[in-house]
Amino acid sequence: MSNTDFSSQNGAGGPPYANGPSQNPVALQPPGPGYMAHQTPYNPMQAKGPMPPGPGLYNSGPYQPIPPVSSNQALPGQPMLKRPPMGPQHSMTPPQSASPNPGSRIPPAHATPPPVSANNYQHAPAWQYGGTPPMGAPPSMGAPPPMAMPPLRPVGNHMTSSPSLATPQASSAEYRATPPVFHNAMQPLGPPTSLQGYTQQGSAPLLMNPMAAPHSYQPVMRAPYGGPPPSVRPTPPTTGPPMGNASPPLGPKTDAGPLPPQQPGPPTRHMGLSYPSLPPGYQNTSAPPNAATMQHPVQPSTQPYSHPPPYQQLSAGPAQLSPSLSGLSLQSQTPEALRVVNLLQERNLLPLGPVTPPTPCLPQDLQKINCHPEVFRSTLTSIPQTQSLLNKAKLPLGLLLHPFKDLSQLPVVTSSTIVRCRSCRTYINPFVTFLDQRRWKCNLCYRVNDVPEEFMYNPVSRSYGEPHKRPEVQNATLEFIAPSEYMLRPPQPAVYLIVLDVSHNAVETGYLDVVCQSLLENINALPGDSRTKIGFITFDSTIHFYNLQEGLSQPQMLIVSDIEDIFLPTPDSLLVNLNECKELVQDLLRSLPQMFGKTMETQCALGPALQAAFKLLSATGGRVSVFQTQLPSLGVGALKSREDPNQRASAKDIQHLSPATDFYKKLALDCSGQQVAVDLFLLSSQYCDLASLGCISRYSAGSVYYYPSYHQQHNPAGVECFQKDLKRYLTRKIGFEAVMRIRCSKGLSIHTFHGNFFVRSTDLLSLPNVNPDAGFAVQMSIEENLVDMQSVSFQAALLYTSSKGERRIRVHTMCLPVVNSLSDIFAGADVQAITCLLASMAVDRSVTASLSDARDAMTNASIDSLTSFRTSVLTIQQPGLLAPACLRLFPLYILALLKQKAFRTGTSTRLDDRVFAMCQLKYQPLAYVMLMIHPALYRVDDLTDEGALNVSERTIPQPRVQQLSVEKLSRDGAFLMDAGSVIYLWIGRNCNPNFLTQVLGLPNYAAVPLNMNMLPELDTAESQRTRAFVGWLREQRPFFPILHVIRDESPLKASFLQNMIEDRTESALSYYEFLLHIQQQVSK
Amino acid sequence: MILLTMIARVADGLPLAASMQEDEQSGRDLQHYQSQAKQLCRKLNAQSPNRCTLEAGVMSFHYVIEHGVCYLALCEAVFPKKLVFGYLEVLQTEFNEQHGKKVPTVSRPYSFIEFDVYIQKTKKNYIDSRARRNLGSINTELQDVQRIMVANIEEVLQRGEALSALDTKASDLSSLSKKYRSDAKYLNTRSIYAKIAAGAVFFITLIVYMRFWWI
Repeated sequence: MSNTDFSSQNGAGGPPYANGPSQNPVALQPPGPGYMAHQTPYNPMQAKGPMPPGPGLYNSGPYQPIPPVSSNQALPGQPMLKRPPMGPQHSMTPPQSASPNPGSRIPPAHATPPPVSANNYQHAPAWQYGGTPPMGAPPSMGAPPPMAMPPLRPVGNHMTSSPSLATPQASSAEYRATPPVFHNAMQPLGPPTSLQGYTQQGSAPLLMNPMAAPHSYQPVMRAPYGGPPPSVRPTPPTTGPPMGNASPPLGPKTDAGPLPPQQPGPPTRHMGLSYPSLPPGYQNTSAPPNAATMQHPVQPSTQPYSHPPPYQQLSAGPAQLSPSLSGLSLQSQTPEALRVVNLLQERNLLPLGPVTPPTPCLPQDLQKINCHPEVFRSTLTSIPQTQSLLNKAKLPLGLLLHPFKDLSQLPVVTSSTIVRCRSCRTYINPFVTFLDQRRWKCNLCYRVNDVPEEFMYNPVSRSYGEPHKRPEVQNATLEFIAPSEYMLRPPQPAVYLIVLDVSHNAVETGYLDVVCQSLLENINALPGDSRTKIGFITFDSTIHFYNLQEGLSQPQMLIVSDIEDIFLPTPDSLLVNLNECKELVQDLLRSLPQMFGKTMETQCALGPALQAAFKLLSATGGRVSVFQTQLPSLGVGALKSREDPNQRASAKDIQHLSPATDFYKKLALDCSGQQVAVDLFLLSSQYCDLASLGCISRYSAGSVYYYPSYHQQHNPAGVECFQKDLKRYLTRKIGFEAVMRIRCSKGLSIHTFHGNFFVRSTDLLSLPNVNPDAGFAVQMSIEENLVDMQSVSFQAALLYTSSKGERRIRVHTMCLPVVNSLSDIFAGADVQAITCLLASMAVDRSVTASLSDARDAMTNASIDSLTSFRTSVLTIQQPGLLAPACLRLFPLYILALLKQKAFRTGTSTRLDDRVFAMCQLKYQPLAYVMLMIHPALYRVDDLTDEGALNVSERTIPQPRVQQLSVEKLSRDGAFLMDAGSVIYLWIGRNCNPNFLTQVLGLPNYAAVPLNMNMLPELDTAESQRTRAFVGWLREQRPFFPILHVIRDESPLKASFLQNMIEDRTESALSYYEFLLHIQQQVSK
Repeated sequence: MILLTMIARVADGLPLAASMQEDEQSGRDLQHYQSQAKQLCRKLNAQSPNRCTLEAGVMSFHYVIEHGVCYLALCEAVFPKKLVFGYLEVLQTEFNEQHGKKVPTVSRPYSFIEFDVYIQKTKKNYIDSRARRNLGSINTELQDVQRIMVANIEEVLQRGEALSALDTKASDLSSLSKKYRSDAKYLNTRSIYAKIAAGAVFFITLIVYMRFWWI
């Protein structure tokens, strides 16, 4: 029973309650009188409780086990309090405190007075849970129950004589927190009623019935969350009045609604009087107080039951719990994430929909405001306490960021002072702790800072004295308008420079038409204001500048043929104001494609052109877009072909992954210093040495686009793709002269960065431009043990100048629990993030060491982590390859990486293709990288509206994701493979003729053309569904995936089949063989 | 050559618009002047002279205050003053017309950064020696330029510091004199005690002497 109850609690779900509740209900009914009696029943529960709590937690959510921990985390304050010893007492105290607390929630601010006992007590318990892992609550477990009981009785008394109760507790606890004052306040309110009221408030009106449920809830809630009132809130509603107790503590928020009669008074008081300082938002910081309050309320009304259990759990202490949990989990109550999966037997591992990231085991209120996983993600959602623990788990620890992602909703704060920690410069965030109204404690370095006077005023609610309700403390992602201290110079205007290759080879591909056309169409959509500047440079064996000065009748071309010592032919007018010279710019764009139509110049001086671009932009900074179609052959930076096509498939190891010259890197660093970013568009049919050219973008924070075999006539699909990408590129948001800094809690350190940027000082990323499609990754190590912490936080702050000349700071903060058992670490592993981080690390490895090294490292990563899981977490040794459910896709993803273009061997892969894939692995945000690694396969000939999504009045069918194996393809079907930058639609030989006619508009299979890239717009339900689905897939990414319709004879069939990762190829293992290989290594 | 132009609100020194010309040929680092200009804008207040030239080595700052807005330009010391003030007057007229009413309400730095476009155009007119001839009229209108106050930027920026230094010195002095006073008192008391003690010793010796030798 107990276990179940707990689990339910953790889960917070209603159903689970049943177990607990059922018993409770009975008990509850008697509530007033029979607390004692109830208590006795409870005690058993409690006794069991200790064990169950852990498991229960797990049960509820995969991660739930963590919750207790998380609560701790939530309460940064805890460390300060150092409550650990308190633990046992806490359990006792809560009841007592309960009565007083309701009134006294205020105390948090007061903190000092011991007498407050009730409040204090509660706080203390909360702390214990959260912060006191070391406590080793177990002893408390036993004791607490009895303790709890007594308090309950007192509860009645509390109303009248709360002080008495308080005193004993006070003595025991170091509860300084509760001020005597509270009691007074409370009492006047009408102690008994008030208590109930509180509880009710929290739980709300409906809860009455739930009596039973409440019990369970409260315990659960509290236990897991420890400090955070918010979590509690949810529970209260379910529970009846008793429950209410629990809920009331939650705080102001809960109070507001539910309490029918008496409660209103008390809650309001809380709100106004005591709590002001501790608003929900702050709870994190002030968790202790909240917890105390929470408990208090509960106690009064009730339901000792509920309280005791939570306490017990709590008392167990995080540390103890986790081990016990881990043990338990294996036995019966394994959380979903730790469910053991035998990979050799379970074939069907893919989830029905997309793979969702694990949820950190934080209290609900914290988790609710935590940073969105698409923006900020950690490979381990539970951070290990020590480096040795991390080493044991053999999983990489790192963060993946998408800091400048387009967001539909972003709070923007304008304030003359931005509140930051005085020692570590962390921006104030939802996970700081408010010690009282005027002081807050940094959640990264734990320094106590003053709250500035302006921060006391809340512009949203227009109220004073509620710093915790400010948007800065309510949002994990927000943007500040920076005051002038954040500017070294006036914000720069948006400056765009287009650098075009116009040699014979370039003109031959016909790309100039597309670029000029695209610019003409989007010239008004370029981000910028009235200051926006634009300029053009073209180059072949010489460099051509264009004077676009206002007043000229037509653009003037200036040719510089001295490419050894490049200079600017005229000091101004090469970069002109776009608004004032739009006519001339349009003139130039219209005539440019024809100007070089008959050129016979085959040489190309890219290096000097880049130097000229740098000179032109160095005064202001800005963006250079370089379009290049062949290997640079003249001047500085000239390159020679390094690829031997005959060696592509046979070479033992891949050579030439590192740059041939450091010219491009050096120039990129110069650019970075002058706030110039270079974006490279490579349109080529031959080898262009992307490994060398790519450096220009990599170190200047630009982006790289690569269109192999681009040709206007021969490759219409490539042209369309280029057009769409260009449109997005020209119109997407852009930030100039940006820097980004990632901070993390004391004890953690960031040591390696992945992405396109230059690391200026140890942790400052210099980003001359930042765009919404750029992702970053960092690796971390644990330098100091995180023993006293329940949670750690990470903060990424991006300072940039918007295209409108505003200096802004975008801040993302993420909070994660700290755990001390291997099983918890495994339960929190995020397999997608791990895969992406490993991919980035492998790219570095293949450049610095060799490709085969990188491949071995990836294979070993999966072997090591599964070995560690088998030896350290599993207690029962079973045959087979065992993996926790959360890592069940890990070997599959690793195999997919090994077969990815970037890392595959034995298959003919062009060097540029390979290098480009590597760039993308490092630079793309996680969601797109995952599709590149492991494409999604859908069967689309039988799409139905069942389970379809509705997005803005369109119905989008949601077919199931299939395994990437030829055995899943059937000849009578049609399959869609989404590989990120390309989509394949494979038509089976015996495909349903209905699909052919209704969707493709073709009479039969033989009529399917060999290169078909469009779905005809037919007025049939099937066609609409298919197009809606493909359109929806395309909308979800910033680039444009080409659609290839293929059949057996299509030349692209080979690349389609190469994505069938689970199948064997002549040079690579099948998934099953790979698993056998891993198993062999694991069981060694 | 006008190297830097800045428009700021006098009340709190909030920059409203600016134009910076990083001059590649001269390779001068304007960062230092940039921060001096910011400091200066913060130091200015309603009591500051409306027109002033501040010397800063080989460069000079010139500013004009009108309607609570300061128009500041940095140029070489040899650049004709008349031209600079003519330039600032033109900026002032145009800025006041375009944004004058919004000035008191804005809170974001560089809210009118787009005014930069106008600044740059005007600047071009004034720098270009061919166009300069066309501005002869301005030269005559600004006869009173000669009477504009000249001060040194260091003095202005450090005036506050000097005052506070004086203040510290004065308070040091007063605390020292208090200490001197108490020390003197103490010494006085000690010397009185010493005198009394000496007298007592003398009389005791005298009495003893009288007692043994006279009797």
